[in-house]
Amino acid sequence: MIVVEGLRKDFGRLTAVHDMSFTVGDGEIFGLLGPNGAGKTTTLRMLAGLIAPTAGGATVNGHALGEGSQRIRGLTGILTESPGLHDKLTARQNLAYYGRLYGMHGRQLAAAVDRYLGVVEMGAHADRRVGGFSKGMRQKIAIARALLHEPEVIYLDEPTSGLDPSAAKTVRDFVATLRGLGRSIVVCTHNLDEAERLCDRIGIMRGTLLRVDTPAGLRRHGRNPTVRVELNGARGPESFVHLLAGLPFVLGAQPREEDRALLVEVADPAGDTPDLVNALVGAGARISSVREAAATLEEVYLRLVGEVGERDATASGDRDAPGVAA
Amino acid sequence: MRLGYAWAVFVKEWRDLVSNRLLLGAVVFPALVFAAIPTGLVAFIQANDLDPNQLGQIKEYINDFPGVPAKLAAQGFIVTNFMAYFLLIPAMVPMAIATQSVIGEKVARSLEPQLATPLEVSELLAGKTLAAALPAVLATWTVFVLYGLINGAVADPRLTRFVFSEVWLVAMATLVPLICLFSVLMGIVVSSRANDPRTAQQIGGFVVIPIIAIAVAQFFGGQATFTMQQVLLGDLVVAVLIGGALALGSWAFDREAILSRLA
Repeated sequence: MIVVEGLRKDFGRLTAVHDMSFTVGDGEIFGLLGPNGAGKTTTLRMLAGLIAPTAGGATVNGHALGEGSQRIRGLTGILTESPGLHDKLTARQNLAYYGRLYGMHGRQLAAAVDRYLGVVEMGAHADRRVGGFSKGMRQKIAIARALLHEPEVIYLDEPTSGLDPSAAKTVRDFVATLRGLGRSIVVCTHNLDEAERLCDRIGIMRGTLLRVDTPAGLRRHGRNPTVRVELNGARGPESFVHLLAGLPFVLGAQPREEDRALLVEVADPAGDTPDLVNALVGAGARISSVREAAATLEEVYLRLVGEVGERDATASGDRDAPGVAA
Repeated sequence: MRLGYAWAVFVKEWRDLVSNRLLLGAVVFPALVFAAIPTGLVAFIQANDLDPNQLGQIKEYINDFPGVPAKLAAQGFIVTNFMAYFLLIPAMVPMAIATQSVIGEKVARSLEPQLATPLEVSELLAGKTLAAALPAVLATWTVFVLYGLINGAVADPRLTRFVFSEVWLVAMATLVPLICLFSVLMGIVVSSRANDPRTAQQIGGFVVIPIIAIAVAQFFGGQATFTMQQVLLGDLVVAVLIGGALALGSWAFDREAILSRLA
């Protein structure tokens, strides 16, 4: 379990991360989403015991950053932003080297290397130098390296970067199985679709966490649940707005003439939709489809990140936004 | 420090070096050049009669070889005087390996995953230091032995004894490893702060200047070779420099500073 409280990191006068607080439970996949320079990698480096926070702290499976950093590094597996392999060594030698650095030896090490080469489907290339590997192959070896010592806590920085769709799915499926084994997993990604599919909760960050919620919770963020009603008749959506304004359960209505639809805000879509449909049909509407219209994660992300960007730019007189760093 | 971890780093570095032919050439080539030049001169003298005028010019040097024929004394002077350059091998070679080792890893971004393991920085540096120093020490010792044997075979067996003198055996056993260590440490210090191998090697090149100065001073000072006191004094000076380089290295090779520079 990871517990982060008020984490802050300054590089000289530049604040990379501030006021970061969140928890990641056992068997949970927590996604960190944010633009370049939002501080995702800096956060991971602090949590992995690589760099020290300027303020605040965190515990990883009960070990505090600082005095417990070496233990934290031992129980952590990290996929770094760049694979960072040793080109002159073979895939097997690369993994064996890191296995030794994690305290593995002999048969245990050899078995783990073989197992994870198999997991990432690189067994056939085990004895080739990684210098000749494609980007995707290197990423696979780096993933195997991060998992080789069966870490309790796993940090994955852009895990499917450079992988083809099939390999990316293999990796996502494997990460999901690690969740089943009770590992705490933090994934940094730009891939919103991947975050939505993989993560139990997502933190959107830009210097600090702007919002943490489940993917579904994030999609609902900032607006009422909305029902989209598509019409197919002579009367356009505008003609029903007055009717909708009189319905007690309708919180707002927006006609969309261009695609002949009504966006109707209600408190309880499941309970209110039948009454809404009845009222519209009673008023002469011909309805072709009705569905709940949730915001996409991308819309929520862009709204949150954009708001902070604008606020920072205004606060600093359009200078470089604080909190944008390494 | 846990030796097993440092050993793992050493083995990885050694594999890296052995598979890097260019770097391996940089280890072997200077050693061979330093040995080949005086050996060629000795062979030339052996094959030709010496002009008495030329012998007069190096009279003060060949006085260091009393009781031997002038031709052998001249060969002895050449063989022993060039040996100062053997100290350049442990200064130059490990510097090239160390800078390549650290900056190569910075460029490949392979330092971060290593620093993310339980490996301590001191263990990483110990493994890298040993891996950079050992090839240079082995190259120097190997060429030293070959140098003594080949010159003895080419000209006179007494040349072998001049090479394998007590002073030079002590210098090989102590001064060579110490210079190697100092050179590696300086290579690591410079590489920790630079991100370009050429910059690091140019700055690191200053390390060899004092050694060249010693060799030149020895020649112009009228000495054919070093004395035991000079070797021991050299050991002391280099040991003190190593102490300074260690302090500098622990400051320069800071986990956080290196990662921040990678960012």
